[in-house]
Amino acid sequence: MNSKTGDRAAPAPARPRIPAQTITEVGLAVALAAVLHFIKVFEAPQGGSVSLEMLPLFFVALRRGAGTGVLAGALFGFFNLLLKPYVVTPVQFALDYPVAFGVLGVAGWFARRGAGGQVRVSRPAVLTGVIAGSALRFVAHLVSGVVFFAQYAPKGQNVWVYSALYNGGYMVPETLITAAVMWWLAGRKDLFGEGVR
Amino acid sequence: MLNDLTIGQYLPLDSPVHRLDPRTKLLAVTLLVALLFFVHGFAGYALVAAFLGMAVALSRISLRYLIRGLRPLWLIIAITLALHLFMTEGRVLAYLGPLKITHEGLIRGLLMTIRLVLLIALTSLLTLSTSPIALTDGIESLLGPFRRFGVPAHELAMMMTIALRFIPTLLEEAEKIMKAQMARGADFESGHLMQRAKNLVPLLVPLFVGAFRRADELATAMEARCYRGGEGRTKFRPLVMRRVDWVALGATAVFAVVVAWRF
Repeated sequence: MNSKTGDRAAPAPARPRIPAQTITEVGLAVALAAVLHFIKVFEAPQGGSVSLEMLPLFFVALRRGAGTGVLAGALFGFFNLLLKPYVVTPVQFALDYPVAFGVLGVAGWFARRGAGGQVRVSRPAVLTGVIAGSALRFVAHLVSGVVFFAQYAPKGQNVWVYSALYNGGYMVPETLITAAVMWWLAGRKDLFGEGVR
Repeated sequence: MLNDLTIGQYLPLDSPVHRLDPRTKLLAVTLLVALLFFVHGFAGYALVAAFLGMAVALSRISLRYLIRGLRPLWLIIAITLALHLFMTEGRVLAYLGPLKITHEGLIRGLLMTIRLVLLIALTSLLTLSTSPIALTDGIESLLGPFRRFGVPAHELAMMMTIALRFIPTLLEEAEKIMKAQMARGADFESGHLMQRAKNLVPLLVPLFVGAFRRADELATAMEARCYRGGEGRTKFRPLVMRRVDWVALGATAVFAVVVAWRF
């Protein structure tokens, strides 16, 4: 009767834009990152803490490519906002949360996909990916700090140095341990070998 | 070590604020957060605080919970205050050793602190009065119009739901593995940075393998039930904007516009 029912009769069985496998993996990786966020490897007396929260995000990037990695990172950025909210300006918010974690996804560029979609990772490539991603995250925090301080710090003071010192304080150790753990894990077949499409 | 995790601090109460559609609350909070960046002055902040206070009273959430949300951030709040206090040039009020407190610094520091506290209280009220699932539903629905620009609204919401669902599970698993490894002599709490990181490997490997296996099984289960993305998918509890939602949203919008315009 209704012409509208005709439309429903012929649904184009379109392939989902993002496969279920990717959706569940990103979901679990973000959950893992949140869990690792709470396992502090090291806690600085002034309240800064170092954890392996970036590790699962790098994993997804390496297994699924940079695009999915960026998505997972940005999503974790919003979770991180719930874990430790610190928002003073909109630009600072964007840089410190979705952007800072989203850029970790570029690590995906360094994994090579072999025939049959198997991911082949070599240790140097994984390390380069981790360091590139972490460096970009550092830049995001650095710029965010400069944008924030630039309005308030007295003229002549070097805001870049302040921001670099503050953000480097936790980013350097965090990058070091993430890279080291990645190095130890990269050789494992049960993580990188099978099950990757 | 893992006991202080609070993500999604939802307080299931029955109140007019709890019953609002999550989209109403998300949009209202977005409006008020934007307003906080427009307003510069104590009068404007006082009005926002009064508005927030009204919402808190309506929500029947005790102030204790809102204040608890501030606790992990007191240090950052203190640093913000101190930075403004000592680093702003202007009329000097007092000297504190080599540091000087200026009139301008005091005003600006207080303003920034109040803004930060209001921001945190606003978002806390949202997460205290809205369950994580309702929040993701709301976000999915609000992102809906952006689908045509390639924003995978449904997929993002699905990922968030899965992440929220599995955080407690993985946390429990991490605790179990830690205890099992500690029983075998693993040491997670001493040594220098690298040593600690290395000691975590026996925890990380089973945790990662388990998590990615779960992801695999979950995807298979979804596909076995013909999951094919958001297209044509229906909900058990569809979101409905009732009249009270429109009234609440309208009132917030009017309030925001008036305050932004006058203050």
